[in-house]
Amino acid sequence: MPQARPDASPERVDPSWAWARYTPSPQCPWTHEHAAHLWRRAGFGAAWRQLARSVTDGPQPTVDRLLKPEADVAAFTRSFDRYENAAGKMVALRAWWLRRMIETPDPLGEKLTLMWHDLFAARTGDVELMRAHVGRLRAGATGRWDELVAGVGRDPAVLLSLGAEANRKASPTDRFARQLLDRHTVGPGNYSPRDVSEAARAMTGWFVRRGQLRFVEREHDGGTKTFLGKAGNLTASDVVKIAATHPAAARNVVRTLYRWLISEVEPPTDPLIAPLAESFAKDFDLRRLVETILRSNLFFSDHSIGQRVKRPVEFAIGIARALESNVPTLPLATALAALGESLYAPPTVHGWTGGRHWITAATLIGRSNLAAALLSASGAYGGKLDPVAVARRYGQSGPKAAGEFLVRLFATGIADAASLDLHALVGSRSARKSGGASPLVGKGDLLSRLRVLVHTLVTRPEFQLA
Amino acid sequence: MRDEPGKRTGLLATATVALLMMSGIAGQAARPLPTADEWVPDRAVLVLNVVQPKALLDVLLNPKLTAAVEASPAYKAAAAKPGFIGLKRGVRHLEERFGANWQTLLRRLTGGGVTWAIGHGKERLLIFDATDSEILGGLHQFALEVAKNEARKKGLPDPTSSAEHGDATIWALGPKAAYAIVGKRLVMANRVDVLKAALDLRDNSRGKSIATTTGYRRAMRAAGADAVASLYADAGVVKSLPKIAKALSAERNPMATLLVAPLTEAFARSSWLALSARIRDRALTIGADWDGTIGARGAARFARRGATMPTLAVPRRIAAMSLYRDLQGFYAAKDALFPERTSGLIFFENMMGIYFTGRDLTDEVLTELGPYVRLVVAEQAYDREIGTPAVQFPAFALVLPMENPDEFPLIAEEAWQKAIGMVNFTRGQKAEPGLIIDREFHKEVKYSVAAFRPPKKKGRKDIDVRFNFRPTLASASKHIILSSTDALAEDIMDALAKEKAQSVKPSGAAHSVTEIDGKQLASILTANRDNLIHRNMVEKGNTQAQAESELDTLMDIVRHVAGVRVSFGDTDGGSKAAARIQFAKSPTPGEK
Repeated sequence: MPQARPDASPERVDPSWAWARYTPSPQCPWTHEHAAHLWRRAGFGAAWRQLARSVTDGPQPTVDRLLKPEADVAAFTRSFDRYENAAGKMVALRAWWLRRMIETPDPLGEKLTLMWHDLFAARTGDVELMRAHVGRLRAGATGRWDELVAGVGRDPAVLLSLGAEANRKASPTDRFARQLLDRHTVGPGNYSPRDVSEAARAMTGWFVRRGQLRFVEREHDGGTKTFLGKAGNLTASDVVKIAATHPAAARNVVRTLYRWLISEVEPPTDPLIAPLAESFAKDFDLRRLVETILRSNLFFSDHSIGQRVKRPVEFAIGIARALESNVPTLPLATALAALGESLYAPPTVHGWTGGRHWITAATLIGRSNLAAALLSASGAYGGKLDPVAVARRYGQSGPKAAGEFLVRLFATGIADAASLDLHALVGSRSARKSGGASPLVGKGDLLSRLRVLVHTLVTRPEFQLA
Repeated sequence: MRDEPGKRTGLLATATVALLMMSGIAGQAARPLPTADEWVPDRAVLVLNVVQPKALLDVLLNPKLTAAVEASPAYKAAAAKPGFIGLKRGVRHLEERFGANWQTLLRRLTGGGVTWAIGHGKERLLIFDATDSEILGGLHQFALEVAKNEARKKGLPDPTSSAEHGDATIWALGPKAAYAIVGKRLVMANRVDVLKAALDLRDNSRGKSIATTTGYRRAMRAAGADAVASLYADAGVVKSLPKIAKALSAERNPMATLLVAPLTEAFARSSWLALSARIRDRALTIGADWDGTIGARGAARFARRGATMPTLAVPRRIAAMSLYRDLQGFYAAKDALFPERTSGLIFFENMMGIYFTGRDLTDEVLTELGPYVRLVVAEQAYDREIGTPAVQFPAFALVLPMENPDEFPLIAEEAWQKAIGMVNFTRGQKAEPGLIIDREFHKEVKYSVAAFRPPKKKGRKDIDVRFNFRPTLASASKHIILSSTDALAEDIMDALAKEKAQSVKPSGAAHSVTEIDGKQLASILTANRDNLIHRNMVEKGNTQAQAESELDTLMDIVRHVAGVRVSFGDTDGGSKAAARIQFAKSPTPGEK
């Protein structure tokens, strides 16, 4: 079995190699870069202690911990659920979710919650409904796929955001049915217009009234329907289950996870994902599917590393997690909305376009400004991030040692990191004078200089890649 | 970090010099000195005179207040910095040397008064009149010792020097600090030439002091001779400060203009500003006077020469405001005052036309209202049958006198009911519960209240925030009351009846008065403690413990303040503002 990173194009990747467990070898060693990649994809980045432990332990034990965190996730969830219950306003709800991402002991669960939020793309102005919706996604993030979709089908927030809050026998609405088939489950090309109308008939009788889902028997079409090849007096639950457990749905879920965990640069070929889809279709166990991907050769290969653009949320939360501090998430929520990612409010029913669309001239400047604000000693973020304190925590006190530490922490994947002129950025006054650094760098005390260094690192093109 | 010992040395020396300067020194002939401001050159743009330091220190060194400040995260963060640690070390050294705690030392050193002046550029002058000449001599020696020792440790030459200037000796501890001791007075400057200029003023033929200028004299007269401290500022310099300039030139909406124009317009026309502080009966009063007056054309003229009604006293009151504003005149002048907002104002007027059934807003609505505008904010006492909202908002009300109390109430009632209908329609579109209008009686006054249907489960403590609101319209004692709750409306009816019985009239020279009750403010903060902590966590990125600590510190400070009263008015030659802070009872500060 080949262990080296393949240089073949994606369509030539051998599926049996791709999904086999990655085992470090001299040809493909387990490095700090691999560990950082794992924490970025299966979470929102890591603190130095997490990276260091992962490098020591190796890939599989790290994946074990990501899948089954050592900390008490249930207690953490209960605590944050209480905070969110009292949020009252959408902006506060966004702030609490961001804070959850920073603090969570279960980064994989939180990352997948964000992924399902993007996929199902519900959006209403009702704070309570959106809180419940994302809570539902979080609870089912690594559970059974068919149960997750069944929950979504009964979710008032989803129905309201699609304008499907009233489904009458006399005039069935196909808005949810179309979305279910086209985006949530089987995908384009795997259903017909008749499947949509028949599913809509099966869903008649369901209404959202004052935030509650209600079934009105007299408005339900009790006739025979034929949906994706199955006939009978099908109900809403029936069509959701049929769609969710269709083989095409299994392939679609694998493609979604491939895009989030492996690469968004090129879509996978059917043969490449076939083994995963077939295996997934046996039990629709999301945790097992995610585990297979995270442990695979493909995940730790060049086909995956750096093959995604960081979402604005990943960009900001990654900085906060690396510097091991909370930041004021109320202003952060607003700043991230300006960069295109307003949590609880996907732009369309298709979620966020993402990928290269995250990066424009305007958003790059926006990311730089946000990083500067996050790292600033004053302002909206109140100097919460302290690179000096983090460096000292790991025994790196001097300017040079602290600077090198931060480069190792943030410059993963930056090819020319070694050539960064650390003397000019953080060195002694005389070294800085001789370094000919730009007027922006090298001024002020050590904390100011390290803040400038971190800003320089996180605004590099490479840092924008997940 | 290599610089830190040097910094500490500098701070130690600075602390010593600062304390030194807070005293006078014996050694000069004991003859009466002129007031300190007579030694301040006339080019000063800001002069602070602390005439009675003891009275001020009694308040500032209050143990409860000190404890609250020391417990605050901001103080703790500052106290952890090397500079602060060095300063504390220096102060501790002085305490040991003089056998007194720093509070006592400070009182002895500043007992005769303190004057601080800033000139154009970076000139700084500090004058201290001490009561204790013995300690001053010791401090002088201590400062010289510290400066010499620290220089010796760093292998530098002795930085101290002295030179005679007339009959005074000028001492320098380096290039940035020079001082002289004349009698019990110590004069310190950041440059030798500034110090010399101050000393030269002892001879009237060599320069002019700020005390001889017209603006300063007027400002000090306005500040009053009984002030424990006063501050003079060249208003031109203050207005040129970026934040002040921005605030003065900011474009405001009509409501904000109505509120603040009397202040901003008058200050924009002033040449000097005087601040004063008085302390009496556990109350600190900060006064502000400036020579700018309200112009004949701006928005502020609708507050000119007004006298406010007393603020309304109701149970659980958190804050109250009383304004004199000619609403009809102000709105009639809108096109001249807000030409850029014409389209918005036309839309607003059209909307008001709907509510007021086609009546002209200026001539048929606002003209019905008198100029005495009053607002009240009070903590709510919730009906146990309904429950307590998860977030408790205070109740608030607007009270306006009516010119025609026989007819206007029905006109207002019609408009109010239309507004409630509009609210209900909008909420209905979102499937949210609406308000049900009812008519109630309070001591034979019939009023209208709109309330949400109570929740099915009674007495819960986390009901929806909408239960903070029971919009109410009432007319009583020739006033119209627009309140967020019926309970507050009833309290206001009682307050108005009492006012009527006592024949209370407008009085005073203030056109704007605001009062805040510290105890009640602390009470509503306590009621919303959890929500405020949660808000703090996401707003500042604090941990729950940090957020709790910040809020508790704030509540300690608020509890320490019994009440605050802020007033603004115009005088014959200018404008006047006063902020009176009444402190709650607390132990007197201890001294060693």
